[in-house]
Amino acid sequence: MMMDEAGAKALAQKILGLSQAESCTVSIDGGDDRHLRFAQNRATTSGAPSSRSVTVEAHFGQRSGSASGTDLSDDGLLALVRAAEDVAQRAPENPEFMPPLGPQTYGPTTAFADATANTTPAQLAAAVAPVLKDAAAKNLQASGFLDVGTGFSAFATSKGLFAYDRATSVLHTVSARTPDGTGSGWAGTTHVDFTKLDAAALGSVAIDKALRSQNPQPLEPGKYTVLLEPSAVSDLIGILIGDEFDQRSADEGRNFATKKGGGSLLGEKVFGDNVTIYSDPADPLAPGAVYSTDGLPTRKTMWVEKGVLRNLQCGRYWARKSGRAPVASPTTLTMEGGTTSLAEMIANVHRGLLFTRFWYIREVDPQTVLLTGLTRDGVFLIERGAITRPVHNFRFNESPVAMLNKVLAIGPTVRTYGEEGAGLPVAMPPLLVDDFTLSSTSDAV
Amino acid sequence: MAVVNRRSFLRRVSGCACATLLPSTLFLGERHAAAQEAVQGLDLSGKLRLADVALSLAKAQGASYADFRLCRYQTEYYEARERRLEESSIGFSAGFNVRVLLNGTWGYAGSPLATDDEVSAATVRALEMARAAARVESRPFVLEEIPAYRDRWDMPMQTDPFLISADLKISKLLEINEAALKSGANYATAALGFVRDEKFFASSRGSAIEQTRVRVLPDMEVTVIDQATGKFASVASLAAPRGAGYDYVQSYDFVGEAAKNAQNAREKLAAKPVEPGEYDLVLDPTNLWLTIHESVGHPTELDRALGWEANFAGTTFCTPDQLGKLRYGSELMTVIADRSQEGGLSTVGYDDDGVRSSGEEFPIIEKGIFQNYQMAIGQAQLIGRQKSNGCSFAEDWSCFPIQRMPNVSLQPNPQPCKLDDLIGDVRHGLYVVGNGSWSIDQQRHNFQFGGQLFYEIRHGKIAGMVRDAAYQGSTVEFWNSLAGLGDKSTYFLGGAPNCGKGQPEQSAPVSHGAVPALFRGVTVLNTERRDVA
Repeated sequence: MMMDEAGAKALAQKILGLSQAESCTVSIDGGDDRHLRFAQNRATTSGAPSSRSVTVEAHFGQRSGSASGTDLSDDGLLALVRAAEDVAQRAPENPEFMPPLGPQTYGPTTAFADATANTTPAQLAAAVAPVLKDAAAKNLQASGFLDVGTGFSAFATSKGLFAYDRATSVLHTVSARTPDGTGSGWAGTTHVDFTKLDAAALGSVAIDKALRSQNPQPLEPGKYTVLLEPSAVSDLIGILIGDEFDQRSADEGRNFATKKGGGSLLGEKVFGDNVTIYSDPADPLAPGAVYSTDGLPTRKTMWVEKGVLRNLQCGRYWARKSGRAPVASPTTLTMEGGTTSLAEMIANVHRGLLFTRFWYIREVDPQTVLLTGLTRDGVFLIERGAITRPVHNFRFNESPVAMLNKVLAIGPTVRTYGEEGAGLPVAMPPLLVDDFTLSSTSDAV
Repeated sequence: MAVVNRRSFLRRVSGCACATLLPSTLFLGERHAAAQEAVQGLDLSGKLRLADVALSLAKAQGASYADFRLCRYQTEYYEARERRLEESSIGFSAGFNVRVLLNGTWGYAGSPLATDDEVSAATVRALEMARAAARVESRPFVLEEIPAYRDRWDMPMQTDPFLISADLKISKLLEINEAALKSGANYATAALGFVRDEKFFASSRGSAIEQTRVRVLPDMEVTVIDQATGKFASVASLAAPRGAGYDYVQSYDFVGEAAKNAQNAREKLAAKPVEPGEYDLVLDPTNLWLTIHESVGHPTELDRALGWEANFAGTTFCTPDQLGKLRYGSELMTVIADRSQEGGLSTVGYDDDGVRSSGEEFPIIEKGIFQNYQMAIGQAQLIGRQKSNGCSFAEDWSCFPIQRMPNVSLQPNPQPCKLDDLIGDVRHGLYVVGNGSWSIDQQRHNFQFGGQLFYEIRHGKIAGMVRDAAYQGSTVEFWNSLAGLGDKSTYFLGGAPNCGKGQPEQSAPVSHGAVPALFRGVTVLNTERRDVA
């Protein structure tokens, strides 16, 4: 259930007015989704869920507590505010408590498109219909998900801060499988603007990969040169930056960025010269939210610049304690691309593998950020500069920290989507990586 | 997919809509009662009236089937980090969902605003979604007959956690961390989450069912560091989330475990690296429950076999032609699905299709042979079976019910067998305790699982701790290597509050009972080596 800025501001003021706490923050968010899910060339579910909720955090000295709810009636809000106050008064003092921020300056919202907000259910069906038709014509089974969402969030404090943001999102993923289960292809992306979605083109990519990946043959596991398509890159980079780039845990000695003997590796060369990763809420390919935790404005933040570790996420308390400025959690993620095309990368590989996407990635060793996971929906052998044949899927055991020191070539950055990543808008390039560790094969197709 | 997320359990719990606290004093209790009232409100007649708005409109518009769910979630979450309380939060989430089957095509809508007008508007949206999707519906859904039930089911519980004071819960967390720190931990985190899940279900087939469940979600982790080397090690609690009251928290020795885990973490940091190779594994049930979840629970979901999860959670190697034929595991392996087990996160009277599930146990694997899929409505006839076996679940009021796991549990050995008997039967092996990392392919063949603690077994005896181990295998081969099983005295109910599946992705709580088990000749990796192969 959408709410415009004026409505959100009025509601926030009303809630702040009910507060009897020494200070208070209010978060409001909500939205409307419409989605169509299909499998086996048929619609399976289609829905239109809406949501709206409020969270109130009350503070008394260094005590704080929060209450969230979906009842926005006058009685409901009053009860919610009092509940938050009760929780706060019961809590012991937290020496790390940080008072709410005062007014902040935010950049403009760029992640909203009216065309997406106005998308009809019929448009969703019209978008996926050619995909299903094409798949059926080629004797393939198409599955997928098309979701359009419109959402808002607002954050206000009793110190005068008010932030409002709204966003639209389009997510479309398509899988195509051969009826005998020996071939599978996938394609997926996200957009801000529904008119930018070319569902048929995505479907064609998945269909083409399904046809080309039929009857894969096993290949010995080991260390390979691999060409990671942007979706696969987004998973590994998203996990690294989203989960592991944390200043406090690095300073505390329990993070890959911990320096031997104490402190963090901030400012040191940690990755290869060709690696630059940043977050920019105004990024033209992958715009993100204009505010982050505690109402901190998001600015363009360089995480890695030419291989040097420039920033780690840093909350307000740890920033104060360690004498740094806070570094807001990312709301979007971009890896700087190169000029080598996918075709050129393939042409330069003597023997290697092309990966479409990853699946079920989990951290094995937090010390090194060693991850395990599997390839899925299109693995192809590259020999003497050309794709020669499909091969079985692999389980990998590899660290993105190590991987970013073995990048041989970088393609152009594109907006992409990975199921396993940080859940943020992402723009990533394809990467050609040396010595990627594949520990076993999988019979899964 | 499976148990969601590489992020810490603590953040997962915090990130869900967890939380609600009913303080101990009468005064505060009254104030929270007011908050509850504001989000709850409706008695049964009010719920029936709202349901009628949706079901009548759906029927009038031509729907062959419709159902209405009104859900409320009361949640409470506390998290302590070292000697301070990091988070104290409560939550109330309420809303409804209308689902319609129109000319064989599904449509649904959900909203937090449970008024007549909004229910009516949401029903129109659900019908509109179904009409639009009909353009790409090549094979209309057909539902089997479902008996109508008018019933109420409440999870049996000794002590309602929402009636226990916050002070006690917070004190418990700080006491846990204190014990860990005093025992040598550098860092300690402890958390308690509670969920009350109330659902009203009504369908066009005439059902009207009210149900209440409560979940307790404990967690803790200790970390030790060695600044000189930059190395660190963590050990997480073995406490499982349960469908239970606060008595579960009171009965578990979290404080003792925290102190022990600090010592275990020091030992882990200093332990010798595991030598990779082939080992006999004795898997403690605190580890095995998750292996069961991933390698037995998910492969035997019928929606995966039908290809409905192909784009996300995946398909399965268990195809319908293998029902009654596939030798999944050794004769020792019997896996039962139930929604009745005490403490089970999936224990409930009726599923979210309104199918009776309590007391409807069925074998998934019987003496090693694959016998049954888990099913929701509209699926059974596609494999020549009669009806759903009650395995439907929707995460909350905003979600469409899909096939999800009941409690899926490995049955104990009917012959007497203790953990020591299993260890005594191993010349060269590892004993694995607790869950580490976990990953399995989209058809459920190739898996890799870690653990919290690994102990070397030599000539039938525990010979000390090793570190950096993970075991890899292929499902059917692995379960056919099952060579020993603990008896019922060794039974442990593990579980996860957050199994992910579906698009949009939904989270489901599920429990798995297990006993210690011996598997012969399993591949073990050293995860610290760069050549992990």
